[in-house]
Amino acid sequence: MQTQPVRRLLLNLQKSVAAPTRNPRLAVVLGRFLATAFLICFATGLYSHFLQDPLPWMHFPTSPANLYQITQGIHITAGIACFPLIFGKLYTVFPNLFQTPLITGFKGLLERASIALFVGASLVEIVIGLLNTYQFYPWPFGFRETHFALSFVIIGSLAIHIGVKLPIISKYWKKIDGYGPGIRQSAEERELVDAPLIDAVPPGIQRAPGVKQAAGLTGMLFRWIDDTPSVDEMPADKRETKVPHHSSLSRRGFLATIGAGVGAVVLLTAGQSFAFLKPFNVFAPREKGIGPQAVPINRTAAAAQVTETAMDASWVLTVKNGSIAQTFSRAQLLALPQTTVDLPISCVEGWSQMATWTGVRLQSLVKAVGGGSGAALTLTSLEKEGGYRVTQMGSEYVSDPTTLVALTLNGETLDIDHGYPARMIAPGRPGVLQTKWLSSLEVS
Amino acid sequence: MSDNIPVSPTMAKVRLTLFGVGVVGLLLGAYFLVTKQNPMQIVGVAVWLLGAIILHDAILSPIVLGVSVLARRAGRRVSRVVLVIIQGAVVVGAILTLLVVPEIYAKTLTPANDTVLPFDYAIRLGLMWLGLIIVTGAVCALYLRRAARRA
Ligand code: HEM
Repeated sequence: MQTQPVRRLLLNLQKSVAAPTRNPRLAVVLGRFLATAFLICFATGLYSHFLQDPLPWMHFPTSPANLYQITQGIHITAGIACFPLIFGKLYTVFPNLFQTPLITGFKGLLERASIALFVGASLVEIVIGLLNTYQFYPWPFGFRETHFALSFVIIGSLAIHIGVKLPIISKYWKKIDGYGPGIRQSAEERELVDAPLIDAVPPGIQRAPGVKQAAGLTGMLFRWIDDTPSVDEMPADKRETKVPHHSSLSRRGFLATIGAGVGAVVLLTAGQSFAFLKPFNVFAPREKGIGPQAVPINRTAAAAQVTETAMDASWVLTVKNGSIAQTFSRAQLLALPQTTVDLPISCVEGWSQMATWTGVRLQSLVKAVGGGSGAALTLTSLEKEGGYRVTQMGSEYVSDPTTLVALTLNGETLDIDHGYPARMIAPGRPGVLQTKWLSSLEVS
Repeated sequence: MSDNIPVSPTMAKVRLTLFGVGVVGLLLGAYFLVTKQNPMQIVGVAVWLLGAIILHDAILSPIVLGVSVLARRAGRRVSRVVLVIIQGAVVVGAILTLLVVPEIYAKTLTPANDTVLPFDYAIRLGLMWLGLIIVTGAVCALYLRRAARRA
């Protein structure tokens, strides 16, 4: 059979856009995974946000001690899993891009605008999130503020998007009525429903919910291509008669690919957050068990400009409660009863490291200046500057018996990069709040 | 798209709720942005959002389209299953590459200390592709052997 080259190219084009992977049912299947991952990121992200910027009435659990290690590990891991999911999702709806006219009426405009916002905000959110874990910040805005604000934009536009698509989503939620139960279709017709979204759709199938004949220019283009004698007029042995087989093959292949993509990105990076995956950590920006005393660091003593103040022999820790104040040198702290705990350093960037700490119970230091069990603290570090030089610690952490002013790490004198002469270590808090190079504690 | 599906009263209510949640979310997002960032930073966010949409709609989508056309042409000569396997492997490799390339670049910018970006990511990426090729080749060979035996 002779086909004009241009038409043949267009035929190929049309066939590839109308690939069986792009259909409402598949968009729903992927959308569910993506929405779940987004909601997990949103919930764990909010938790991380409020741990750092609590509202006045907020109190947080101190047990399990590794709660934040888990929530933020999940945040980053689910966030990385969003990449293959969102690419797959965008791919399934991709023919809609070629639809003309692009915008049909006011409703269409709203729909398009909410999707554009959703796509834009999601892509920016996951990209800046990922680059942040590489400590690479090539943008002209604040990461935390923007990542936080965009998360509301995403959830908002996601809700609108789900609202718009609700009829389709509910129709294609279950596999069994994935093809429009109201319409009697042969198995072959059902398989065809899988295929076209903008294809020249056979009339019987056009009635299937969510299947729409492309309108306008694209529609005309595809109808013209469809006039091209194709498979049906090919010699019988070359005919692609097994439509059902083909469409389900590429559908399964597509899902398997997205599944493999999610599996690969998770397996090869989650070892920075979850110890049992450490052997598979190929691409994460962090590795467990490296660094001074086998604990990774973010801010070094040099970066915090404390190399001199931290080594100063006259260093003391000042503990204050109103007019009562006491100072403790490192030797005095070491002379107090020592407690040993296993607590993780859990970074906002998702990596974490379990470690063994020995030091003085914070509780007993607060008691020494007459602080009650409901006391909250203001912690100040020797750091010259930085957003976390002065931080607040809620009473739930102050009164927790595992919260220590730590003096040793993994059996050795605290390394200066880990906060020598003394640092805070408390259960369930992000690493930025585990103040290093302590200078003063004040009951607030 | 949802034109030809009837909407029940319950669904209409759920829908309205979702729209409500959506509008509240958008307003909150806008509020947080406006209160926490200065005008230049907000312009920066807008540029990034627009850039993401353009990158997706105008650049990535046509590339994907082109690639799938090529794949489909090859599809006439190669077993469809093998094609699907190879396509899948290329996609997985491409996604990993997309995540790792900025990491390779970030490492050239002198990380804060030795525990940040500790690996040689370029070599690892190369090895990943090598491994992917071997695994994909093995899977295809296995499939073709089985198919031949069945035939
Ligand atoms: C749809 C996806 C996502 C949502 C809804 C989301 C949401 C959030 C929220 C609400 C926060 C708290 C921000 C704050 O403390 O003010 C947060 C923090 C964070 N997110 Fe995400 N996120 C998403 C994806 C990602 C991804 C893909 C990554 C990285 C791979 C990531 C990395 C981070 C990091 C590093 C933080 C800590 C920021 C800090 O406290 O310094 N996020 N996220």
